[in-house]
Amino acid sequence: MPKLLDLAAAIQCHVPDGALVFIGGFGHCVPFAAGHELIRQRRKGLTLCRTGTDILFDQLIAAGCASKVVFGYLGNPGVGISHSFRRAVDAGSIAVEEWTNFTLLLRLHAARIGVPFLPTRALLAGDIPKASADPRKIVCPFTGETLSAIPALFPDVALIHAQRADQDGNTQMWGIDGDSREGALASRIVIVTVEEIVPREVIRAASERTMVPAHRVAAVCHVPGGAHPSYVQGYYTRDDEHYFLYDRISRKPDELAAYLDRRVRQVADRAAYLRLLDADVLARIGLSSKSNVVLDEPTAVEAQ
Amino acid sequence: MMSAQMEMENLVLAAALELVDNESCFVGIGVPSLAAMLAKRTHAPNLVLIYESGAIDANPPIPPLSTGSPSVTADTAMIGDCLDVFGYLQAGRIDVGLLSAAQVDRHGNLNSTVIGEYRHPKLRMVGSGGAHDIASMANRVVIVMPHDPRRFVTAVDFITSPGFLNGHGERAQCGLRGGPHAVITGRGRFVFLGEELHLERSFQPFSLAQAVEGFGWDVPLCPGAHCFNAFDESARQVARGIGFSGGGA
Repeated sequence: MPKLLDLAAAIQCHVPDGALVFIGGFGHCVPFAAGHELIRQRRKGLTLCRTGTDILFDQLIAAGCASKVVFGYLGNPGVGISHSFRRAVDAGSIAVEEWTNFTLLLRLHAARIGVPFLPTRALLAGDIPKASADPRKIVCPFTGETLSAIPALFPDVALIHAQRADQDGNTQMWGIDGDSREGALASRIVIVTVEEIVPREVIRAASERTMVPAHRVAAVCHVPGGAHPSYVQGYYTRDDEHYFLYDRISRKPDELAAYLDRRVRQVADRAAYLRLLDADVLARIGLSSKSNVVLDEPTAVEAQ
Repeated sequence: MMSAQMEMENLVLAAALELVDNESCFVGIGVPSLAAMLAKRTHAPNLVLIYESGAIDANPPIPPLSTGSPSVTADTAMIGDCLDVFGYLQAGRIDVGLLSAAQVDRHGNLNSTVIGEYRHPKLRMVGSGGAHDIASMANRVVIVMPHDPRRFVTAVDFITSPGFLNGHGERAQCGLRGGPHAVITGRGRFVFLGEELHLERSFQPFSLAQAVEGFGWDVPLCPGAHCFNAFDESARQVARGIGFSGGGA
């Protein structure tokens, strides 16, 4: 089966209801297009996980896709709380399993390297272990120190957005990775959306940038602008204003429902989503709705 | 000018003074970023700013809205990943962590998880992020808080990030090193004596009494507690140049 799919087909094929889904992107390269496709396809009962979330989590909670969240931080970065998460907690409609950014990272790292747990000096005190996370105290067999044992977390599917891939799925990301590589390599299935599909020679001329090799990638989708309102280094910058706008809208469930209808459910794909953005927004963040213009070539190696 | 802006400037100026040149500093978003940026532009040019997104030796040109924002990587020496920087932290290579939170208590415990009961909170907040990890593993922690009596409580509703817990050496008994070193507000500087919050100085024009105004308990004074009047005016100008729009604390 070819790996170069359209996004709707990739989500249809690989993300069933009830899946444990790792959402990539630490402020940078957040896979909004892939997340919006989950909403359009009305996925239910998903467990969403990552360390520090973006407002995509708020949207997936509001749309009723998520029945559980596993996280270190869940909010609107730098702006405030996740209003949909708050409402879901108030209503008792979402299961919550919270760790810290480091300990959730260790859960993914343990899965990536194939061990059932990793020891750490975090979660030795405080209320998180009493209320939610379930680390176990262990004694180091070498030093006798007491440490926390953090269990591995094996996501079914990872959704990753990156700069580019070849048609086989060799995926390259540069700039901030955060926990994206850990989450992708911890997952059974990896779905990638990219700004550009490039010839294999481009990948192989700068292979140190490859974050996920093709044999670990189930589907690769060409989705320019797929990370808005987050950003993609070298392609377009972060739409900070949108995060403030989203804070205002998401305070009111009816306004948020209208936002999700207009920008997600009633658009066919990412190109249609981008056409809804004002020209001055596109100009401000350096994103063209018609093509994926590279704003600055990161290295000379990139030149084709 | 006894205004909100004065308090905000004092907060950033005083927090910056907690940072020492050549140290490594794990930086959060909001006031922590502003303070670290100010320190690097004034008395601590060799301060190594580390963001949890993986940026090492960052030098943000403008206050970043998120730890993964373009400004964090615009002039950084290295972009590692989360494992790099949390590894630094756990290995004891972070000298100082700067943290803020919704609540702080008399033992320096921080809450960013819930107001009210965990299962049925009055307000569900964002959770730890990296704050618990920094509070547990940085060699010293500086807490920055706006002067807001609702934020200063005898015991936080939820200990997201451990300070001295209940005092009496409980932190060390749990196997944690370091601990809260100072709490900075726009009105004063607090330190921990016997693992309990004490007022060490107020910042002019605020008196010692105004520095603890509205707090839910009688905050003890350090021996020699005084009113401080020596913020560097050139540093204040640099702070104003950075701006104060660094996002929510």
